[in-house]
Amino acid sequence: MIWQQIANGIATGAVYALTTLGLTMVYGVLRVLHVAHAGVYALGAYVGLWAFRFTGNFWIGLVVAMAACALAGVLIERFLYAPLLHLPRIIPLIASIGLFIAMEEAFRIVAGPYALAYDAEVRFGSLALGPLRLTGPQTLILTVTLVLLGLLWLLLSRSRVGLAMRATAMDAEITSSFGVNTRAIIALNFLIGSAMAGAAGALIGVYDNQVWPTMGSVPAYKCLAIVVLGGLGNIPGSVLASFLIGLAETLLIGIVAIPFPRDALAFVAMILRHDPSSDVPSIRSAGKGVGTPMEIHRFRRFFRKDSAP
Amino acid sequence: MGQKIVNRTGILIVLAAIATFVTAPALAQETIKIGFFAPITGPAAADGASAQHAVELGVKEVNATGGIKGKRVELIVYDDRFSPQEAVAIANKLIEKDQVAGVVSGSYSGPTRVTAPIFAKAGVPMVAGYAVHPDVTKAGESNFRNGFLGEVEGGAAGEYAVKVLKSKTPAVIYMDNDFGREISAGFIKRAQKLGAAIVARQVYKFPGEKDFRPFLTRIKEARPDLIFAAGYYNEAALIVRQAKELGITVQILGEEGFDSPKFIELAGKDAEGVIIATNLDRDDPRPVVQNFLKNYKQAWNYDPDMVGASSYDAFKILVAAIEKAGTDRKAVIKALMETRDYNGLTGKLTRFVKGEVVKPVQFQIVKDGKFRRHGVVDNPEVITPPTQ
Repeated sequence: MIWQQIANGIATGAVYALTTLGLTMVYGVLRVLHVAHAGVYALGAYVGLWAFRFTGNFWIGLVVAMAACALAGVLIERFLYAPLLHLPRIIPLIASIGLFIAMEEAFRIVAGPYALAYDAEVRFGSLALGPLRLTGPQTLILTVTLVLLGLLWLLLSRSRVGLAMRATAMDAEITSSFGVNTRAIIALNFLIGSAMAGAAGALIGVYDNQVWPTMGSVPAYKCLAIVVLGGLGNIPGSVLASFLIGLAETLLIGIVAIPFPRDALAFVAMILRHDPSSDVPSIRSAGKGVGTPMEIHRFRRFFRKDSAP
Repeated sequence: MGQKIVNRTGILIVLAAIATFVTAPALAQETIKIGFFAPITGPAAADGASAQHAVELGVKEVNATGGIKGKRVELIVYDDRFSPQEAVAIANKLIEKDQVAGVVSGSYSGPTRVTAPIFAKAGVPMVAGYAVHPDVTKAGESNFRNGFLGEVEGGAAGEYAVKVLKSKTPAVIYMDNDFGREISAGFIKRAQKLGAAIVARQVYKFPGEKDFRPFLTRIKEARPDLIFAAGYYNEAALIVRQAKELGITVQILGEEGFDSPKFIELAGKDAEGVIIATNLDRDDPRPVVQNFLKNYKQAWNYDPDMVGASSYDAFKILVAAIEKAGTDRKAVIKALMETRDYNGLTGKLTRFVKGEVVKPVQFQIVKDGKFRRHGVVDNPEVITPPTQ
């Protein structure tokens, strides 16, 4: 049964990975905590469901959801964050929270307060890897996640655009002095990150067969914790942290039966990792990025004072 | 000079007071005001809508048949947004500003239990539709509950699991809130008393849990012959689906939180064969049930659920008491206490014991995408609420 629990954990981790990616990419280029990302995730579920009902095909629904969320992400960057970036970082954060609440209420008004069924029958066989058995829905989640992560990795490591994206995340000013249009790169980060969130929303909608207005509220804060754990702005780090948290949560409740809610785990891990004097091994070294100790300190300061970091 | 001003002001105040006293009863006589609160927006908005729709249907019916002794019923609706703070303000408003004859709670335990002492202190009769917390009725004798106590419903489910479904080794999964803890404790107590052994107990966080696979995997390991699951319809649908996904085939027994057409919609074909404990029997031939099912669907274009039916009943029970006793609050409370063999939508109500309802617990099974009658528990040992 431990193998079944591991399969459960991997599937949960895959969902976390897809959702947190956008958050970490946005933080990487803007240093903004993009809370409304969870609203984009819910939007993906609604659009995916709508497109699925319209066409009867899950895959078309998935692609439409990704496209719609990509557009939403670019619009959010252009009209919400861009005008606020010269202000202390707490201002775009508040704007982001405001947008998130507005999105939740908009979903409720448009689609109603009830959870909607997303009954896309995706025939995906169960997968056996040695003793590890993934159920059909779990195989679907894991396959789509791995394909999307693979494509992103190819883009980032094998293309000039990817190089520009990585450079912008390290230092936008210097990168723009090399002639890179960092504004476009930032928009691209939003586009890709939001498309991933859209895919996550649509996948979760099918996995749980539920789409409801406040489905983003738990991911909104949990993904934040995972992103911090993975090293803010660090893409491989946040993917690794997602799988670790997904597995650890599942194994802890499935085998040890921890006495606290599983959602607490991501925060416990975040706090432990956050403490510079802690000897908990850091997973920051999993990838090179901006999750440097300096960055973490800036983040901490940011929460202590309401001033610019 | 000063003296005169005081006198003039004094006269004005007296005049204003007289005017108020003279006109207020005249206005009040036109309608009978009944207060209602429910989570119409916020995280529990779906149940709030269900309760509101059902009670509004009730108001329409009462007014269409001449109101209460010729007076129209006016429903004063407030949205508590699932927030106890909000509910406190609403309770005070209903008592002082709206001066209602009585109140119907279409809300959850959290908002309802904080209002209970306020209504008790003011001596305002309140009938809760489906709030389950024991404190709701403990606050004072003006509070009544039309839904089952968690302990009673859980006990009935335990009785049904062992005696009718012949379970010897059930497993239990429930959410970590008042309702979940009490209903599962009731189930376990009764099932053990009847000789069953609980092979697994799993608690999940509420609200927020969506992935029940780790809990269900553990339950599967324990090889139960039945799973008693507590949760609201969203969780219920996920539990049922994920159990099937993991290859669990034993009977799943749920409770009133499952009782919604949404459960069947969200769980799809995996809902088939699930049995639930509830108070609404769709196959009850009494006209009060069949008319409600028909009229509700006609008015709102979706099937009613337990939450709506229970709120409707709470409203109708209050109306019946006002019909009998008039609008004097004390007399209404007395009439509610003396309720006997009331022909309710959610079952024949024998009486209230310290504000707690006594009526049989219904069991429904999902067949071809509909809730159908499966059985009933009316053993007085089980359905009589504990007085302690």
